[in-house]
Amino acid sequence: MATELDNIEIRPARRRFVQGAAALATTLIAPGILLYKTGQASSNGAAKTPRWGLLIDTNALSEADVDACVSACQREHGWHSEAGSATDAQWIRKLRLSDERSGQQQFLPMMCQHCADPPCVDVCPTGASFKRDDGIVLVNKHTCIGCRYCMMACPYKARSFIHETLYDQLPVAPRGKGTVESCTLCVHRIDRDGANAVPACAEAVNRGEHKAILFGDLNDPQSEISQRLKSHGATRIRADLGVDPGVRYQGL
Amino acid sequence: MIDCSKALPFLLVSLLISTLLGWLAFTQAVAGEVESSGFGAVAIPQPHKPDNASACVEPLDIMRREHMNLLLHQRDATVLDGERDGNYSLVGCMDCHNPAASAETVIRYPDPQHFCAGCHLYASVKIDCFECHADRGLAKIEQGRLADSNVAQPGSGLLSLQTFQMQLGDTGGD
Amino acid sequence: MRTIYSEIRTSSPQYWGLLAVFAVITALGIAAAHRMEVEGHHISGMSNQVVWGLPHVFAIFLIVAASGALNLASLASVFNKAEYKPLARFSAILSIALLIGGLAILLLDLGRPDRLIVAITHYNFKSIFAWNILLYSGFIVIVLAYLWLMMERRLEHWSRPVGMFAFAWRLILTSGTGSIFGFLVAREAYDSALLAPMFIVMSFAFGLAMFILLLLLSFRLDRRELDASHLQRLRKLLGLFCIGILYFVLLFHLTKLYGSQNHAYERFILLDGGVYTWLFWLFQIGLGSLLPLLLLYSARWQHSPRSLVLACLLIIQGAFAQLYVIIIGGQAFPLNLFPGYRVDSSFFDGVINTYSPSLWELLLGCGGLTSALLIALLVVRVLPILPQNLPGAQN
Repeated sequence: MATELDNIEIRPARRRFVQGAAALATTLIAPGILLYKTGQASSNGAAKTPRWGLLIDTNALSEADVDACVSACQREHGWHSEAGSATDAQWIRKLRLSDERSGQQQFLPMMCQHCADPPCVDVCPTGASFKRDDGIVLVNKHTCIGCRYCMMACPYKARSFIHETLYDQLPVAPRGKGTVESCTLCVHRIDRDGANAVPACAEAVNRGEHKAILFGDLNDPQSEISQRLKSHGATRIRADLGVDPGVRYQGL
Repeated sequence: MIDCSKALPFLLVSLLISTLLGWLAFTQAVAGEVESSGFGAVAIPQPHKPDNASACVEPLDIMRREHMNLLLHQRDATVLDGERDGNYSLVGCMDCHNPAASAETVIRYPDPQHFCAGCHLYASVKIDCFECHADRGLAKIEQGRLADSNVAQPGSGLLSLQTFQMQLGDTGGD
Repeated sequence: MRTIYSEIRTSSPQYWGLLAVFAVITALGIAAAHRMEVEGHHISGMSNQVVWGLPHVFAIFLIVAASGALNLASLASVFNKAEYKPLARFSAILSIALLIGGLAILLLDLGRPDRLIVAITHYNFKSIFAWNILLYSGFIVIVLAYLWLMMERRLEHWSRPVGMFAFAWRLILTSGTGSIFGFLVAREAYDSALLAPMFIVMSFAFGLAMFILLLLLSFRLDRRELDASHLQRLRKLLGLFCIGILYFVLLFHLTKLYGSQNHAYERFILLDGGVYTWLFWLFQIGLGSLLPLLLLYSARWQHSPRSLVLACLLIIQGAFAQLYVIIIGGQAFPLNLFPGYRVDSSFFDGVINTYSPSLWELLLGCGGLTSALLIALLVVRVLPILPQNLPGAQN
């Protein structure tokens, strides 16, 4: 995994260029014109920053599949959770839904939903909880002071606080006592592979043509995820809160 | 009016407390070296040199003076903007500045043999990088995993750090 | 008649004994916080479900009471009630001390208290928590300035505008504290703008109760005279604030009960929440509100200072019960991600979360409380804060 970090695609360079151009434009052109320009740019969709998201087809996921997602994430990032422990971290978890009347059961993976308007980012006093330009919500553990307010604010119970000293962390997933963490959407893979990235949970369950967990750019109307969302639709969990999660579910 | 003579006991007590705290800090700081080199005489560190690399990413004198700034700068670029193609990643350092994957030796951070720990103990500069970051490359992590290492170790505080160091001495030391 | 202020001069064993006890508990609190930092929070009762625990109950109590302790100074400066003027200095000192105690707990409970510098240098201005950091530190500065203006006779005429500013500031401060919870839209237990005014009324009552207790204590330690008429005024005020809390609690629960989406939560707190239901009905409503009202207003006990002390103590225990129910009860009730479904997982989805505070948290909380009392008792010894005597109705 460590060596893979060396040969990274030049995607970040493009982002740097876009940012530089935007900064230049901001200083040179009046803000009103800038707003007009970006409004125009978004209509053709070509030069937009991506917004990464997942589309999870719960009908294609068995209970064993969801378990496979969880253990793949554990292997990828080196976290463990003892059964019954209230203090161990869980980046992704298996939810069992039972209909209160019919008793019908469903299984689905639940993790950070990478909201467009994340409450955890709003409430973080130091700005350690932040959203990247490409929509991934992360914790900057260098500035996290461990106040846990983001855990109070998260509607999805997606975040964990590290209650104990950890040893032998993996190079791709620095994590340590006294800070908060959650699913990173496998950001290290995304930074390397861009739109072709496959998060560890998706990799564990995608077989054949139909991808049970589909990763892609929600901002690109041509992407597979946007196409499938357009044709089949999907559920946002707790859509009532208006946080616009980047993880969508089909079959609920 | 305030009676100045009353201030004296307060002054004495605070002096006493600060002295005690100073001693505590001092003894903690040298705790790592006391065993090997005796009180007051700290040996010049001999950090583990990379087994197979030829040159560092920058000349030695720049690395010695600037490594913290280089790391810090790239750290923010990586975390905030996802730029992972720089030369100065901590993962990169640890890949090189550790025994080769083929070697049997595994060196963990608090061990004075560790590339970072040696000088940082010598200079008494505390870093908390390795509370979160891997102190060695992925291959070495797999190789030298402590039993049950992702669950917290028993024991607490200073005591556990010392016992931890002693354990390390057994596995990866001189 | 001019009020004469002086340091308390007692060298009684009671005073030093009390200081020693407070100092020891404070030291134990610091030691507990240190242990929690090296060991990690797993030695506390807090978990990924109940992320804020007993330390936060203590801290919020102290911060809320700090704002309320400024009542008497505000009454004198803002509302021109001259009879409260002699108590204004002590009121200011107590509010600073309580706030420091509360903030110390919050700081020491952080996962990374060593990163205090980060909290000071990195601000996310959209965070209500970050606003509170500014509000709290600003409050200390403003009240210190206010105190200085009250004590410096040449500048005393400035104390009124600054006192007004302090009054406005602390209303905003307590609104901010209430909004820490009120703005949490995702949790049924919170998500209500009512929490802000409710916290303000709570601050009036809790702060006044702390003020009365410490005033009586320091007067008694130094054998100073306190005229009964002062106590009568404070008694009536305290009763009024108690009624205010009851009103807001009633309004809060009625609002939640009206919409059926919150019925499960209300059922949990009011009917079958076990410890939380008991805390609510018995300790918060019964012992913390109704009984004090009886003690404060009934003709039988109206003139006994003891009944006032007892009422204050009851109100303070009720305060802890109320904050425990709000903070911990609110987290014990699970998030409802899928209405109409029963949800379960390995991460405690869909179940009532358990929480039992550990000794470390208790020590940290008590340490914060005693550190505030320690500061207050030390300051009245080195600065002329307390009036020599409080004669009856003066004009």
